[in-house]
Amino acid sequence: MPPVYPTLAVVAAVAVLGLERWYFRSGIFRSRAYWLSMIIVFAFMVPVDGWLTKLSAPIVIYDDDHTSSHRVVWDILTEEFVYAFALLTLVVLCWDRAAQR
Amino acid sequence: MDRFQYLLVLGASALVTLPLEFAFDARVWRRPRRLARAVLPSFVVFVVWDIWATTHGTWDFSEQYTIGVELPGGLAIEELLFFLLIPVCTLLTLESARNILSGRVRWLRRDD
Repeated sequence: MPPVYPTLAVVAAVAVLGLERWYFRSGIFRSRAYWLSMIIVFAFMVPVDGWLTKLSAPIVIYDDDHTSSHRVVWDILTEEFVYAFALLTLVVLCWDRAAQR
Repeated sequence: MDRFQYLLVLGASALVTLPLEFAFDARVWRRPRRLARAVLPSFVVFVVWDIWATTHGTWDFSEQYTIGVELPGGLAIEELLFFLLIPVCTLLTLESARNILSGRVRWLRRDD
């Protein structure tokens, strides 16, 4: 069995891709503003999520039996970026959908 | 002060992004109903996931760095704020990027 956190993070990201493809159909992935803001948000995620999960004094503590144990930058688990992509893209899709009503 | 660390990280994120609301006229905080509709679906899904993950021991929250108010399953109450404020930071960035790229920010325009 693969560890649960990276598995669920990928499932969430694929689910959001599926929602865009078959439900929202917003074309958000062709938007320059979306990608620019994602680059900026992911850059700021390093200090914020890094502070929350740094191994020296963690605020959020992971059981490495449940994670990939692969920490890309400042002890942030790689799957955190996949998780963030799913969460924040869903927010953006719902924000744009809410404008249409 | 240590136990306010998580709250301070969230507060700092909200504070640092607040000027975007006005400097680039992002209009996220000023559209509260639209904002609520944007944040609610992911809030429900990710809080349920969060409670499940905390209960099953995927992650846990430091007693030293949180205020100590726990929700069912041991979820730190700060997590609820996380799922409200971090989406707002993202939407402020997105709307700023849209306004800048489409030339709608008056003080960035050279003409007029």
